[in-house]
Amino acid sequence: MSVSFAPECTDAKTKYDDCFNKWYTEKFLKGQSLNNECSEFWDTYITCINANLAKKGIKPMLDKAREDQPFTSEEMKESAGTASKEEK
Amino acid sequence: MKFFESDHYFDYPWDQVTAANWQKYPNEMSTHVISVDILSRELNPATNVLRSERLIGCKQSIPKWLSFLVGGATVSYVREVSEVDLNNKTLVMKSSNLTMNNLLLVNETVVYRPDPELPQSRTLFEQSAEITAFASIGRICDKIEDWSVERFGQNAKVGKMAFEGVLKTLNEKWEQSGVFENTNNVLTEVSKLPFLQGSKL
Repeated sequence: MSVSFAPECTDAKTKYDDCFNKWYTEKFLKGQSLNNECSEFWDTYITCINANLAKKGIKPMLDKAREDQPFTSEEMKESAGTASKEEK
Repeated sequence: MKFFESDHYFDYPWDQVTAANWQKYPNEMSTHVISVDILSRELNPATNVLRSERLIGCKQSIPKWLSFLVGGATVSYVREVSEVDLNNKTLVMKSSNLTMNNLLLVNETVVYRPDPELPQSRTLFEQSAEITAFASIGRICDKIEDWSVERFGQNAKVGKMAFEGVLKTLNEKWEQSGVFENTNNVLTEVSKLPFLQGSKL
């Protein structure tokens, strides 16, 4: 599994990734999940990430990109060719 | 702006391809990818769309002739947003670089969908990118201007010193030949004029 940009978050990331990949293949792809699971691992991981995004000065670049290239669901559907289908 | 497009077929079913997509790195070929993080992830249970935002860290591989523009930065970051639409069987990923994007912006879109001819066993991969280099000429000009101003200052200093030497040599020569005697005499005489007596001329 790939490491985190912040070495101290890699452990938490591995635990979350393991949980997520299991959920994705065993539940999501089978249409059996109503929830984004793994929240217990997610909370620890994302807390670590958010602290390090700020510490390493990545946060401002990220915020700017979110504003400049929002990549909205509409844009995603347009690229997938599923946008017009849903409107009809 | 330049465009890049490429298509490919993977001989695996779409669901496997999308599951593998989350576990793509690290791999032996993509040694430039050094980290992958998930920044947010939401499932819309009504539409079966899973939206994720990731941060991908890459080793910077920039041509030498451009490296002076970015200084010492060795890792560049890419933000990627993806949506897996289970009902429509599409995976769309859009990404753009966070680092150096005032110089070069790469907007990439990747779509994975089941191959219409072999939907159970083959996946179509479509990749496109918009590459925009902007302000690059300005940035390069800035650097060249800074360098030029510095060099100009150095040259000007040398030039002044050189001219001092030339003046000194010529002055000594002219003192001996007396070719400027008249001018000097005029100045001496002017200073002797009555209304200038007592002035500092």
